[in-house]
Amino acid sequence: MAPSLLFNPAKLPPSEALQLAQQAPVVLQGSSSPSETVDQWATFENLLLACLRTGDDEAAAKCMDQLEARFGPDNERVMALRGLLSEAQAENNGELEAVLKQYDAILEGNSTNLVGHDRLRQLFPDRRFANPPCLRLQPITKRRIALLRSMGRVSDAATALVQLLDFSPTDAEAWSELSDLYFTQGLYSQAIYALEEVLLLSPNAWNIHARLGEVQYMAATTSGSGGGSQQKYLAEALKRFARSIELCDDYLRGYYGLKLVTTRLLKEQAKQAKQTDDGEFTLPDPKTIERLDELATAKLSEIVRHSTLKDRGWRGYDEREVAAARELLSQNGIER
Amino acid sequence: MAQVPVQTIHRDPQLFYWILFPITIVMILTGVLRHYASVLMQSAPKKLDQKAIREQRSLLHGINLRGNFHALSKKSFATRRDALVTAFESGAYLKDPERAGQGQPNPLSDPSSMEGMMGMMKNQMAMIIPNTLIMSWINAFFSGYVIMKLPFPLTIKFKSMLQAGVMTKDMDPRWMSSISWYFLCIFGLQSVFNFLLGSDNAASQMAQQMGGMGAAPQMFGPGVDPDKQFKAEAENLAVIEHYSVLDDVEERLLEGITA
Repeated sequence: MAPSLLFNPAKLPPSEALQLAQQAPVVLQGSSSPSETVDQWATFENLLLACLRTGDDEAAAKCMDQLEARFGPDNERVMALRGLLSEAQAENNGELEAVLKQYDAILEGNSTNLVGHDRLRQLFPDRRFANPPCLRLQPITKRRIALLRSMGRVSDAATALVQLLDFSPTDAEAWSELSDLYFTQGLYSQAIYALEEVLLLSPNAWNIHARLGEVQYMAATTSGSGGGSQQKYLAEALKRFARSIELCDDYLRGYYGLKLVTTRLLKEQAKQAKQTDDGEFTLPDPKTIERLDELATAKLSEIVRHSTLKDRGWRGYDEREVAAARELLSQNGIER
Repeated sequence: MAQVPVQTIHRDPQLFYWILFPITIVMILTGVLRHYASVLMQSAPKKLDQKAIREQRSLLHGINLRGNFHALSKKSFATRRDALVTAFESGAYLKDPERAGQGQPNPLSDPSSMEGMMGMMKNQMAMIIPNTLIMSWINAFFSGYVIMKLPFPLTIKFKSMLQAGVMTKDMDPRWMSSISWYFLCIFGLQSVFNFLLGSDNAASQMAQQMGGMGAAPQMFGPGVDPDKQFKAEAENLAVIEHYSVLDDVEERLLEGITA
């Protein structure tokens, strides 16, 4: 599928992002037509992001000027994009500090930079609002947190995120960012808590289930935890991976994690502590673990085989993930 | 059997150009004008203060926990529930905690809800004024005669609808007066407006009336006591009997794959 400018390019592989950014001259040239189309501004925003990603600051600045001319420099989303641009153009830490100060100044002006559009929609379902409500809120607050994080002030970023989440606890994006922050700090139980909040908001997100499993597995592998809690983490990780596979067939990360956990569990079978029932998940019996292990192995080798051969219907796996799966399989001494 | 003689009324063909056509054009133009007037009159959406957002989102948080508790393990659900129930009952998330338990404020005295009502008033006015004007215009100039004949037969019941302003008892209901044409335009121009202005237009008053009537009970509307909502939510949370979707997930998985 060719990349489209109608979607956020943040998750695209580099080659496709570059392809998008190279459309910049064409799009910018065509922008002089007087009539607005529905997708026009989404295109500009995504083009801006793609250009920033590929280092084409000049084209990005042009996009920015167009957006600013249309929506005015006071629009929250435009302000955030403007900040993003100046972050990208900053050449040293001092300039980044200046951007940060700018954010602080904006935030001082109005204490919540979250537009209450969703509430207004609820209050007056029959009324229309002049600006299309930005459903994907991208307030300066979040921009500031991201900047703090990229400047290495992780604890400040975490504090700011916790403040944000205190008055907006239904923000899945913020929760997952917080989880990632804690995860990089090695605070696994906090990371797990934040991921569980994400799951509360979207209980069927298989990637979050798998991610939670990964974090729990990591928590189990750290030396700090004792045998009992380690086993609890492993038990829940096993279940999380199983759930993610249940929600999404042939989910490579899910099977990979399942394989990791079962291998480890089978290795440590001898010294399993007595399980107590205190509201935590308990490990299934060894036979089930063995069957799960076989299942994961079979499925992983199937995925690896098919995607190496580039079979129809098996494309779309991340190559690095397939490579990792291959390595895991060969580590376990399984012939493909 | 004697055939009922077909009524023929000789009309000036100019009636079409000078009455039917102008009424339709005026109706469409008013619709377009009304659309742009209501776009202009909209007050900019005001920003909510942080505490109000916090109040609403905390309540939503509780509702989410109640709805999706099955994604959590029993222990993590219990910790969350205990924390939220305590906070909800003590009113920690309230916008102004000292007002808790005083009952709901009068929605008329709250300036923020007044603004919403003003908005609705404005919309109503934008609807009523042009309609009154056009109707009196039609009544003053074009009442008392028929302007067209519909190409299909109708029953007698339609007489009052189609021949308003023409007091002739025996006339075929197919004949239509100007004021009736006006009403037909009111009800029938929605699709024309959709074509001209896009589907989200404010031109047709009918859609607005429907929207006003069908609106769901507002969750965070004025006049709802948030303290009571929190207490109710705390109670709802407290009675949940926990199960997890992760119970027996591996059995389900194994069965599903082998089956």
